Amino acid sequence: MNVKIKKELAFRRIAGEVFIVDAAKAEMHELNGTAALIWEGLAAGKTEKAIVSAIMSEFEIEEKTARADFADFVKELEKAGLLSSV
Amino acid sequence: MAGGIALRRRVKKAPAAFLGRLGLEIGGFGLNFESDQSGIISILSSRYGKFGAAGKPRFSLKVYGASGSQSPFKPAIVLTGSKLEIGRGDFSSGLDLATGAGSLRAAANEQCLDAFLRSLISFLLLRSGGFMLHSAGLVKNGKAHLFLGKSGAGKSTLSKLAAAAGTEVISDEINLLRFEKGGFRVYGSPFWGEMRADGRPGSWPLGGIHLLGKARENSLSACPGGEALKLLLRCLVNFDKSPQAAELALKNSARLLAAVKFSRLKFSKIDGSFLDLVK
Repeated sequence: MNVKIKKELAFRRIAGEVFIVDAAKAEMHELNGTAALIWEGLAAGKTEKAIVSAIMSEFEIEEKTARADFADFVKELEKAGLLSSV
Repeated sequence: MAGGIALRRRVKKAPAAFLGRLGLEIGGFGLNFESDQSGIISILSSRYGKFGAAGKPRFSLKVYGASGSQSPFKPAIVLTGSKLEIGRGDFSSGLDLATGAGSLRAAANEQCLDAFLRSLISFLLLRSGGFMLHSAGLVKNGKAHLFLGKSGAGKSTLSKLAAAAGTEVISDEINLLRFEKGGFRVYGSPFWGEMRADGRPGSWPLGGIHLLGKARENSLSACPGGEALKLLLRCLVNFDKSPQAAELALKNSARLLAAVKFSRLKFSKIDGSFLDLVK
Protein backbone atom coordinates (compact mmCIF):
# COMPACT_ATOMS: atom_id res chain seq x y z
CA MET A 1 0.00 0.00 0.00
CA ASN A 2 1.71 3.18 -1.16
CA VAL A 3 -0.99 5.74 -0.49
CA LYS A 4 -2.03 7.97 2.39
CA ILE A 5 -4.82 10.39 3.18
CA LYS A 6 -4.20 13.89 1.82
CA LYS A 7 -3.11 16.12 4.66
CA GLU A 8 -5.39 19.03 3.68
CA LEU A 9 -8.52 17.02 4.41
CA ALA A 10 -10.46 17.28 7.66
CA PHE A 11 -12.52 14.35 8.88
CA ARG A 12 -14.39 13.26 11.95
CA ARG A 13 -16.74 10.50 13.05
CA ILE A 14 -20.07 12.11 13.87
CA ALA A 15 -23.36 10.33 14.52
CA GLY A 16 -21.82 7.00 13.54
CA GLU A 17 -20.51 8.14 10.16
CA VAL A 18 -17.21 9.53 9.03
CA PHE A 19 -17.49 12.93 7.37
CA ILE A 20 -14.64 14.19 5.23
CA VAL A 21 -14.43 17.85 4.32
CA ASP A 22 -12.23 19.12 1.52
CA ALA A 23 -12.41 22.84 2.24
CA ALA A 24 -10.42 23.91 -0.81
CA LYS A 25 -12.87 22.17 -3.15
CA ALA A 26 -15.89 22.88 -0.92
CA GLU A 27 -16.70 19.15 -1.01
CA MET A 28 -18.00 16.82 1.66
CA HIS A 29 -17.95 13.02 1.67
CA GLU A 30 -19.64 10.70 4.11
CA LEU A 31 -18.60 7.17 4.85
CA ASN A 32 -20.23 4.43 6.82
CA GLY A 33 -19.67 0.74 7.52
CA THR A 34 -16.64 -0.78 5.84
CA ALA A 35 -15.67 2.49 4.17
CA ALA A 36 -15.47 4.30 7.50
CA LEU A 37 -13.43 1.48 9.01
CA ILE A 38 -10.94 1.54 6.14
CA TRP A 39 -10.67 5.33 6.22
CA GLU A 40 -10.01 5.41 9.93
CA GLY A 41 -7.44 2.63 9.52
CA LEU A 42 -5.63 4.63 6.84
CA ALA A 43 -5.83 7.75 9.00
CA ALA A 44 -4.28 5.87 11.92
CA GLY A 45 -1.43 4.70 9.67
CA LYS A 46 -2.41 1.03 9.92
CA THR A 47 -1.11 -1.48 7.40
CA GLU A 48 -3.31 -3.05 4.75
CA LYS A 49 -3.04 -6.34 6.62
CA ALA A 50 -4.27 -4.77 9.87
CA ILE A 51 -7.17 -3.02 8.15
CA VAL A 52 -8.22 -6.18 6.31
CA SER A 53 -8.08 -8.05 9.58
CA ALA A 54 -10.28 -5.40 11.24
CA ILE A 55 -12.83 -5.68 8.41
CA MET A 56 -12.92 -9.49 8.72
CA SER A 57 -13.48 -9.24 12.45
CA GLU A 58 -16.06 -6.44 12.35
CA PHE A 59 -18.19 -7.80 9.52
CA GLU A 60 -17.43 -11.53 9.89
CA ILE A 61 -16.36 -12.01 6.29
CA GLU A 62 -13.60 -14.04 4.64
CA GLU A 63 -10.17 -12.61 4.02
CA LYS A 64 -10.60 -12.75 0.24
CA THR A 65 -13.75 -10.61 0.42
CA ALA A 66 -12.20 -8.19 2.91
CA ARG A 67 -9.14 -7.74 0.68
CA ALA A 68 -11.34 -7.09 -2.35
CA ASP A 69 -13.42 -4.55 -0.39
CA PHE A 70 -10.26 -2.81 0.72
CA ALA A 71 -8.78 -2.65 -2.78
CA ASP A 72 -12.04 -1.41 -4.33
CA PHE A 73 -12.47 1.31 -1.77
CA VAL A 74 -8.88 2.52 -2.04
CA LYS A 75 -9.41 2.82 -5.81
CA GLU A 76 -12.54 4.87 -5.16
CA LEU A 77 -10.69 7.16 -2.79
CA GLU A 78 -7.90 7.66 -5.31
CA LYS A 79 -10.46 8.44 -8.00
CA ALA A 80 -12.08 11.00 -5.70
CA GLY A 81 -8.69 12.62 -5.13
CA LEU A 82 -8.66 11.95 -1.40
CA LEU A 83 -5.37 10.04 -1.31
CA SER A 84 -1.82 10.95 -2.18
CA SER A 85 1.18 8.79 -2.92
CA VAL A 86 3.58 8.05 -0.11
CA MET B 1 -11.11 107.27 5.75
CA ALA B 2 -11.17 108.89 2.26
CA GLY B 3 -12.28 106.76 -0.62
CA GLY B 4 -13.85 104.27 1.75
CA ILE B 5 -11.18 101.69 1.34
CA ALA B 6 -12.37 98.58 3.00
CA LEU B 7 -9.93 96.49 4.81
CA ARG B 8 -10.53 92.93 3.97
CA ARG B 9 -9.24 90.28 6.16
CA ARG B 10 -8.58 87.24 4.20
CA VAL B 11 -8.89 84.24 6.32
CA LYS B 12 -7.71 81.04 4.85
CA LYS B 13 -9.77 78.20 6.12
CA ALA B 14 -7.82 75.25 7.35
CA PRO B 15 -9.15 71.90 6.22
CA ALA B 16 -11.43 70.44 8.83
CA ALA B 17 -9.54 68.02 10.98
CA PHE B 18 -11.88 65.08 10.93
CA LEU B 19 -11.30 61.88 12.75
CA GLY B 20 -14.14 59.45 12.34
CA ARG B 21 -14.42 56.70 14.87
CA LEU B 22 -17.04 54.05 15.37
CA GLY B 23 -17.26 51.21 17.88
CA LEU B 24 -19.41 48.19 17.06
CA GLU B 25 -20.16 44.88 18.70
CA ILE B 26 -21.28 42.14 16.35
CA GLY B 27 -21.53 38.51 17.41
CA GLY B 28 -19.97 39.47 20.72
CA PHE B 29 -16.83 40.80 19.02
CA GLY B 30 -15.94 44.40 19.75
CA LEU B 31 -14.69 46.21 16.64
CA ASN B 32 -13.37 49.73 16.43
CA PHE B 33 -13.09 51.60 13.12
CA GLU B 34 -11.10 54.77 12.65
CA SER B 35 -10.81 56.78 9.52
CA ASP B 36 -10.01 60.29 8.41
CA GLN B 37 -12.54 59.83 5.64
CA SER B 38 -15.96 60.67 6.96
CA GLY B 39 -17.72 58.77 4.15
CA ILE B 40 -16.76 55.28 5.23
CA ILE B 41 -17.49 55.86 8.90
CA SER B 42 -20.87 57.38 8.12
CA ILE B 43 -21.76 54.39 5.92
CA LEU B 44 -20.73 52.01 8.70
CA SER B 45 -22.65 54.09 11.19
CA SER B 46 -25.85 54.20 9.20
CA ARG B 47 -25.67 50.50 8.27
CA TYR B 48 -24.60 49.06 11.64
CA GLY B 49 -25.42 51.89 14.04
CA LYS B 50 -27.77 49.74 16.10
CA PHE B 51 -24.80 47.58 17.00
CA GLY B 52 -22.81 50.53 18.31
CA ALA B 53 -20.66 49.81 21.38
CA ALA B 54 -18.61 51.99 23.66
CA GLY B 55 -16.56 49.35 25.47
CA LYS B 56 -12.95 48.45 24.82
CA PRO B 57 -12.86 46.75 21.43
CA ARG B 58 -11.11 43.45 20.77
CA PHE B 59 -10.09 44.61 17.31
CA SER B 60 -9.22 48.05 16.06
CA LEU B 61 -9.02 48.84 12.37
CA LYS B 62 -7.75 51.92 10.62
CA VAL B 63 -9.90 52.34 7.56
CA TYR B 64 -8.77 53.86 4.26
CA GLY B 65 -10.81 54.52 1.16
CA ALA B 66 -9.91 52.50 -1.91
CA SER B 67 -11.32 51.84 -5.31
CA GLY B 68 -11.87 48.49 -6.96
CA SER B 69 -14.50 46.25 -8.39
CA GLN B 70 -16.22 43.38 -6.61
CA SER B 71 -14.35 40.91 -8.77
CA PRO B 72 -13.26 38.43 -7.53
CA PHE B 73 -16.53 38.38 -5.64
CA LYS B 74 -15.74 35.70 -3.08
CA PRO B 75 -13.46 36.93 -0.33
CA ALA B 76 -10.20 35.08 0.23
CA ILE B 77 -8.89 34.48 3.73
CA VAL B 78 -5.31 33.68 4.66
CA LEU B 79 -4.09 33.18 8.21
CA THR B 80 -0.32 33.13 8.74
CA GLY B 81 0.58 32.84 12.40
CA SER B 82 -1.52 35.54 14.03
CA LYS B 83 -1.75 37.64 10.87
CA LEU B 84 -5.13 37.46 9.19
CA GLU B 85 -5.59 38.73 5.66
CA ILE B 86 -9.01 39.08 4.09
CA GLY B 87 -9.52 40.45 0.63
CA ARG B 88 -11.55 40.56 -2.51
CA GLY B 89 -11.65 42.95 -5.50
CA ASP B 90 -12.94 45.95 -3.57
CA PHE B 91 -11.36 45.51 -0.15
CA SER B 92 -8.25 44.22 1.57
CA SER B 93 -7.63 43.92 5.25
CA GLY B 94 -4.77 42.88 7.47
CA LEU B 95 -5.38 42.14 11.12
CA ASP B 96 -3.07 40.90 13.86
CA LEU B 97 -5.22 38.60 15.93
CA ALA B 98 -2.74 38.72 18.80
CA THR B 99 -2.74 42.50 19.23
CA GLY B 100 -6.13 43.23 17.67
CA ALA B 101 -4.67 45.97 15.48
CA GLY B 102 -5.20 46.13 11.77
CA SER B 103 -6.20 48.04 8.71
CA LEU B 104 -8.90 47.95 6.10
CA ARG B 105 -8.76 49.44 2.62
CA ALA B 106 -12.24 49.42 1.21
CA ALA B 107 -14.52 51.01 -1.33
CA ALA B 108 -16.90 53.41 0.37
CA ASN B 109 -20.11 51.51 -0.19
CA GLU B 110 -22.38 49.35 1.90
CA GLN B 111 -21.97 46.13 -0.11
CA CYS B 112 -18.22 46.23 0.23
CA LEU B 113 -18.22 46.89 3.98
CA ASP B 114 -20.92 44.26 4.47
CA ALA B 115 -18.83 41.67 2.61
CA PHE B 116 -15.81 42.49 4.75
CA LEU B 117 -17.74 42.23 8.00
CA ARG B 118 -19.39 38.95 7.01
CA SER B 119 -15.98 37.52 6.14
CA LEU B 120 -14.38 38.68 9.38
CA ILE B 121 -17.23 37.72 11.71
CA SER B 122 -17.66 34.29 10.08
CA PHE B 123 -13.93 33.67 10.58
CA LEU B 124 -14.05 34.73 14.25
CA LEU B 125 -17.21 32.75 15.00
CA LEU B 126 -15.73 29.50 13.70
CA ARG B 127 -12.75 30.04 15.98
CA SER B 128 -14.99 30.77 18.94
CA GLY B 129 -16.63 27.35 18.64
CA GLY B 130 -19.59 28.61 16.68
CA PHE B 131 -20.83 29.37 13.21
CA MET B 132 -22.28 31.97 10.90
CA LEU B 133 -25.28 30.17 9.47
CA HIS B 134 -27.64 30.68 6.55
CA SER B 135 -30.78 30.43 8.62
CA ALA B 136 -33.81 32.17 10.01
CA GLY B 137 -33.59 32.94 13.72
CA LEU B 138 -36.54 33.48 16.05
CA VAL B 139 -36.88 34.06 19.77
CA LYS B 140 -39.44 31.96 21.60
CA ASN B 141 -39.78 31.78 25.40
CA GLY B 142 -36.47 33.58 25.78
CA LYS B 143 -34.59 31.06 23.63
CA ALA B 144 -33.31 31.34 20.10
CA HIS B 145 -34.39 28.82 17.50
CA LEU B 146 -32.57 28.53 14.21
CA PHE B 147 -34.17 27.28 11.01
CA LEU B 148 -31.57 26.06 8.55
CA GLY B 149 -32.12 26.32 4.86
CA LYS B 150 -30.44 27.39 1.67
CA SER B 151 -32.04 29.80 -0.78
CA GLY B 152 -35.68 29.03 -1.41
CA ALA B 153 -36.12 26.85 1.68
CA GLY B 154 -38.50 29.38 3.22
CA LYS B 155 -36.37 31.36 5.67
CA SER B 156 -37.86 34.74 4.81
CA THR B 157 -41.39 33.37 4.48
CA LEU B 158 -41.14 31.75 7.90
CA SER B 159 -39.62 34.90 9.40
CA LYS B 160 -42.36 37.14 8.01
CA LEU B 161 -45.06 34.80 9.33
CA ALA B 162 -43.40 34.73 12.74
CA ALA B 163 -43.05 38.53 12.84
CA ALA B 164 -46.71 38.91 11.87
CA ALA B 165 -47.58 36.63 14.79
CA GLY B 166 -45.63 38.90 17.15
CA THR B 167 -42.51 36.75 17.48
CA GLU B 168 -39.13 38.45 17.49
CA VAL B 169 -37.01 37.66 14.44
CA ILE B 170 -33.23 37.71 14.97
CA SER B 171 -32.51 37.53 11.24
CA ASP B 172 -34.26 36.06 8.22
CA GLU B 173 -30.99 35.20 6.48
CA ILE B 174 -27.80 34.95 8.55
CA ASN B 175 -27.49 34.15 12.25
CA LEU B 176 -24.48 34.25 14.52
CA LEU B 177 -23.92 31.30 16.83
CA ARG B 178 -21.24 31.25 19.51
CA PHE B 179 -20.10 28.70 22.04
CA GLU B 180 -19.42 30.31 25.41
CA LYS B 181 -19.52 29.28 29.06
CA GLY B 182 -20.37 25.71 28.14
CA GLY B 183 -23.34 26.50 25.92
CA PHE B 184 -24.40 27.90 22.58
CA ARG B 185 -25.84 31.40 22.24
CA VAL B 186 -27.28 33.18 19.24
CA TYR B 187 -26.31 36.81 18.84
CA GLY B 188 -28.31 39.58 17.24
CA SER B 189 -27.45 39.86 13.56
CA PRO B 190 -27.15 42.90 11.30
CA PHE B 191 -27.13 40.59 8.26
CA TRP B 192 -30.61 40.23 6.80
CA GLY B 193 -32.25 39.02 3.64
CA GLU B 194 -35.61 39.95 2.14
CA MET B 195 -36.97 41.52 5.32
CA ARG B 196 -34.19 44.11 5.20
CA ALA B 197 -34.37 44.91 8.89
CA ASP B 198 -31.49 46.26 10.95
CA GLY B 199 -31.60 43.66 13.72
CA ARG B 200 -30.77 44.50 17.27
CA PRO B 201 -27.95 43.68 19.65
CA GLY B 202 -28.55 41.01 22.26
CA SER B 203 -27.99 37.29 22.72
CA TRP B 204 -30.18 34.34 23.57
CA PRO B 205 -29.42 30.76 24.61
CA LEU B 206 -29.93 28.34 21.76
CA GLY B 207 -33.22 26.47 22.12
CA GLY B 208 -33.13 24.24 19.06
CA ILE B 209 -32.18 23.84 15.44
CA HIS B 210 -34.70 22.95 12.79
CA LEU B 211 -34.20 21.86 9.22
CA LEU B 212 -36.62 23.84 7.19
CA GLY B 213 -39.07 22.69 4.55
CA LYS B 214 -42.33 24.01 3.10
CA ALA B 215 -45.44 21.84 3.16
CA ARG B 216 -49.21 22.07 3.16
CA GLU B 217 -49.39 21.24 6.83
CA ASN B 218 -47.12 21.95 9.75
CA SER B 219 -45.16 19.03 11.16
CA LEU B 220 -42.16 18.46 13.35
CA SER B 221 -40.13 15.25 13.27
CA ALA B 222 -36.84 13.94 14.54
CA CYS B 223 -33.81 14.42 12.36
CA PRO B 224 -30.97 11.87 12.18
CA GLY B 225 -27.53 13.21 13.08
CA GLY B 226 -25.98 12.56 9.69
CA GLU B 227 -28.70 14.45 7.85
CA ALA B 228 -28.51 17.31 10.35
CA LEU B 229 -24.75 17.56 9.93
CA LYS B 230 -24.93 17.65 6.15
CA LEU B 231 -27.39 20.52 6.12
CA LEU B 232 -25.53 22.32 8.90
CA LEU B 233 -22.32 22.29 6.89
CA ARG B 234 -24.14 23.32 3.71
CA CYS B 235 -25.62 26.30 5.56
CA LEU B 236 -22.29 27.36 7.02
CA VAL B 237 -21.10 30.78 5.86
CA ASN B 238 -17.36 30.36 5.57
CA PHE B 239 -14.82 31.92 3.23
CA ASP B 240 -11.79 30.31 4.85
CA LYS B 241 -10.74 27.40 2.64
CA SER B 242 -7.98 26.15 4.91
CA PRO B 243 -7.88 22.61 6.35
CA GLN B 244 -7.95 24.21 9.82
CA ALA B 245 -11.30 25.82 9.05
CA ALA B 246 -12.69 22.47 7.85
CA GLU B 247 -11.38 20.84 11.02
CA LEU B 248 -13.06 23.49 13.16
CA ALA B 249 -16.32 23.19 11.25
CA LEU B 250 -16.43 19.47 11.97
CA LYS B 251 -15.35 19.88 15.58
CA ASN B 252 -17.93 22.61 16.27
CA SER B 253 -20.62 20.61 14.46
CA ALA B 254 -19.95 17.54 16.59
CA ARG B 255 -20.31 19.64 19.74
CA LEU B 256 -23.48 21.28 18.47
CA LEU B 257 -25.07 17.95 17.51
CA ALA B 258 -24.31 16.61 20.98
CA ALA B 259 -25.65 19.70 22.74
CA VAL B 260 -28.80 20.60 20.85
CA LYS B 261 -31.79 18.79 19.50
CA PHE B 262 -32.16 18.92 15.73
CA SER B 263 -35.56 18.43 14.18
CA ARG B 264 -37.16 18.71 10.77
CA LEU B 265 -39.84 21.39 10.59
CA LYS B 266 -42.25 21.51 7.70
CA PHE B 267 -44.43 24.58 7.73
CA SER B 268 -47.41 25.90 5.88
CA LYS B 269 -47.13 29.46 4.61
CA ILE B 270 -50.72 30.23 5.62
CA ASP B 271 -49.93 31.62 9.06
CA GLY B 272 -47.60 31.45 12.04
CA SER B 273 -49.26 28.41 13.62
CA PHE B 274 -46.04 26.41 13.10
CA LEU B 275 -44.74 28.34 16.11
CA ASP B 276 -46.84 26.07 18.36
CA LEU B 277 -44.56 23.18 17.35
CA VAL B 278 -41.40 25.03 18.31
CA LYS B 279 -40.75 24.30 21.97
